[in-house]
Amino acid sequence: MKHRFKALKLLVIVAVAVIGIRLFLIQIIEHDAWVKAASKQQVMRDMIVAERGEIYMMDDDEPTPVVMNATVWTVLVDPMEANPKKTEKLLDEVIKPKLLASWEKVFEDRTRRYFVVAKNVMRKEAETIKKANLKGVWMQEGTKRVYPEGEMGSRLLGFVNADGTGQYGVEGAFDKDLKGKNGLLKTVKDVNNIPLTIGKENVRVPAQDGKKIVLSIDRNIQRNTEKILAESIKASRGDKASAIVMNPRNGQILAMADLPNYQPENYGNVKGMEDYQNNVLVDAYEPASILKAFTFAAAIDTGAMKPDSVYENTGKVYIEGWPIENAYKGQIGTVSMQTALDFSLNTGSIQALRWLSGSSTDITARGRQKLYEYYHDKFGLGQRTGVELAESAGMLVGPNTGDGRNARYANMTFGQNLNVTMVQVAAAFSSLVNGGHYYTPTVVAGEVKDEVGFVKAKPRKSVRTVVNESTSSTMREMLYGVRKMARLRGTDRPGYYVGGKTGTAQVIRDGKYIMEETIASYAGFGGIEDELPEYVIMVRILGDGRQMSGEADALPIFNQINNYMLDYLKIKPKETL
Amino acid sequence: MRKHKSDQVLTLLVLGLMVVGLIAIYAVGPMRANLLNVTYGTNYSNDMFFWNQLRSVGMAILAFWVGFKLPYVWLRKHSQKIMFLGILLCVLLAFLAVAGSGLADCQLGGCRWYNLGPIGFQPAELMKFGLVLYLAQLVAVRRKEGKIETREFWLPFGIVSAVALFLVVILQKDLGTGVAFLAIILTSLLMSGVSMKKFWLILLVVILAGVGAIASSDHRKIRVADWLAGNSYHVRNAEMAIGTGGMFGVGVGNSVQAAGYLPESINDSVFAVIGEMFGFLGLLLVLGCFVMLMFRLLKISEHLPDQEERLVVVGIFAWILAHVVANVASMISLMPVTGITLPLLSYGGTSMMFVAGALGLAGQLSCYTSREVKNESISSGRGLRGTYYSGRRRSA
Repeated sequence: MKHRFKALKLLVIVAVAVIGIRLFLIQIIEHDAWVKAASKQQVMRDMIVAERGEIYMMDDDEPTPVVMNATVWTVLVDPMEANPKKTEKLLDEVIKPKLLASWEKVFEDRTRRYFVVAKNVMRKEAETIKKANLKGVWMQEGTKRVYPEGEMGSRLLGFVNADGTGQYGVEGAFDKDLKGKNGLLKTVKDVNNIPLTIGKENVRVPAQDGKKIVLSIDRNIQRNTEKILAESIKASRGDKASAIVMNPRNGQILAMADLPNYQPENYGNVKGMEDYQNNVLVDAYEPASILKAFTFAAAIDTGAMKPDSVYENTGKVYIEGWPIENAYKGQIGTVSMQTALDFSLNTGSIQALRWLSGSSTDITARGRQKLYEYYHDKFGLGQRTGVELAESAGMLVGPNTGDGRNARYANMTFGQNLNVTMVQVAAAFSSLVNGGHYYTPTVVAGEVKDEVGFVKAKPRKSVRTVVNESTSSTMREMLYGVRKMARLRGTDRPGYYVGGKTGTAQVIRDGKYIMEETIASYAGFGGIEDELPEYVIMVRILGDGRQMSGEADALPIFNQINNYMLDYLKIKPKETL
Repeated sequence: MRKHKSDQVLTLLVLGLMVVGLIAIYAVGPMRANLLNVTYGTNYSNDMFFWNQLRSVGMAILAFWVGFKLPYVWLRKHSQKIMFLGILLCVLLAFLAVAGSGLADCQLGGCRWYNLGPIGFQPAELMKFGLVLYLAQLVAVRRKEGKIETREFWLPFGIVSAVALFLVVILQKDLGTGVAFLAIILTSLLMSGVSMKKFWLILLVVILAGVGAIASSDHRKIRVADWLAGNSYHVRNAEMAIGTGGMFGVGVGNSVQAAGYLPESINDSVFAVIGEMFGFLGLLLVLGCFVMLMFRLLKISEHLPDQEERLVVVGIFAWILAHVVANVASMISLMPVTGITLPLLSYGGTSMMFVAGALGLAGQLSCYTSREVKNESISSGRGLRGTYYSGRRRSA
């Protein structure tokens, strides 16, 4: 019997030895691998989503949100666990209009563990669903952009796509700032995903919410501008209209409207990508006669001419064999440069270029060089302005490039044969009338900080001088002179000092200028005499295959916005004698 | 033979292991309660499992004391009755279950428990105890009569073994208890003095029957295949708990696997939780205690002059061995999971009470050992060889 006891002892020893070796293998040799595997199972890594910054516009002096966030819930059903009767009853009662699929479909495959039944469920509804505490029904919290102003400024503001990335406009350009930085929650959890306090792996990096950007855009000016544009589109057979209102004293953009708008919450409902783009910034075009103001300024600034300088208007000139005619057929004979501006005579601005060339009859390389210097280097035409949003550079051909230079430069004096954006023209026009100081245009007024409130952006400094103070004041006077008719008709109310210039541009189709379609533009300023202008407005209206005239179509838009601005800014008229 | 002091090491080991179990359940009981509350909407308090286990330990200590005090002379008189009471209760349970009585507590297709209101009772545990007593007596009596390896031995031995296994494995679908029964039966057979040739033959038949049982059922085939492939969620999480424990463990109360990942964390998987909290060294200590306990039992058995008593203690040894090995081996994928408790450590009353009672009986018998190792030629009888014993002398 003794050996059988021994056998039992041996059995115990062998069994425990095998167990011991296996334990050594698991606990010592494989220890790290098991720790890793356990961490994968036990540690929950959750992103703490940063809240996207709200976007504000100014309402007079106070920032007011125009793009906000709302917490919304996605409702999910686990068809395997959920009780179809109870689930259907509750959700039909609470969120019937938001249900994405029929109940037959949801419960068709009961082995599924996941079915999204509704999205964008609001807080109250979500609370009701949560309270019912149904098995197999759960919710995920998320956020959604909401737009208290509806479509207003949609091309300026842009939208946020399904991935939470800002697209176009302010949302696109400031995406990184608005997005903020997501945080991380790393915590050991139990099998039901409830965090435990065990272990050293628990980490919490709080999210940094996105910046709340305050735009310099004034909500009221924006809304009114859009209203005026919308009415003009209706009245004038046009289909696209844009406007920009700037403060010439600091480059801040007060309104930037590009109609038609789109619905940012249903951003998918557009015909094409071009419906998202802000044409004030990206559509480089030929603004035509508005640019005469810049040609005149260049000639006056260099001392080559004065407003009362005279020349012989023949109605038509030939440059390198190309005929250039005036749109206005009158005023043939000896006329002053003021008259040339008043009647928008192309021969007048060509004359200014001749004088810039140091001649009274010919266009020379020197003149082209001078004009290019003013247009491109000083007024910044044909290059990006540096505004915070996406913009086009446009195109200005250099003074010594290509054939037919003189003809091209002759055309450039009245704003053809080049491509510039509205924001370029508006910024340049601002510098022209504000004493000669160029400010980089901006849409940012500051930001709203938690617990601090509105913090204004640092005031901008002028980046360069474009013309002398005296040139600027002379140009204001000339542009004021152009609006004599507006004053006589009473459009411009007495005591105010409003100036501006029309532009009616021919359009190139298949490499040729055509007469059937023209784009109407207007740039002007307003304020009171002997003071710097309070604002600069540029408008543009066009329609496919439509002849739009600066005088008949763009000017009335400017007039309306202008009068609104005078009232809105509460500018007191100067006592007239 | 004069009675001397009992084996105190045995008592200390029993108490020590109970304390380890209490610590483990104290540490992870709140998580278990919380998990059940969240999952099933129960309302268990944080320390509910600890107090229950403390109550079980109290009752187990009482059972140990009863086993220690209740004279074996009385028990041997009733060993057959105890065995048949166990069988009867199992049969009755099966009938109750078929009748749909609330007294039968059925889970996962097996009806193993009597539902007696606040407490449950598992008749298989009584049968296990009865089996130890009955087989010991059968072997001892037949040996005394010189009728070992005759029909009068094989028939009752075979029938009782088969009935017992049928009741737990087939009717109650309790493979764990079946493993324990088999261990007791085979060890009794080994120590009965039958020829090794016959023993090996029977062992071979048992193994073949086991393989046949597995092959005959898809459910069992899948289970074995899962074990071989390491696909069991239970085992993977047990190994994860043990593996993360490393050398020294993560510390008391720092078990994460007990937070719902590891099934049966306080019952059958308590070994894994101890491994996570106390590491390799902790597990070696626990295993060491069990090895000492088993060696202690073998030593007592070897030194007992009475054949039947010796076989009773060997039966208790087999009981402990089966539970420890089957439980621990299944946690580290050396064996498929059979659902068997770790003696004295796992949460639960009946199992611990009977184990403690049996060990108490072993303690009682340890008072009657002689210094000499008895061989089979001395069949029974006390007091022939003087007053040698393995424990300390109570009096000079």
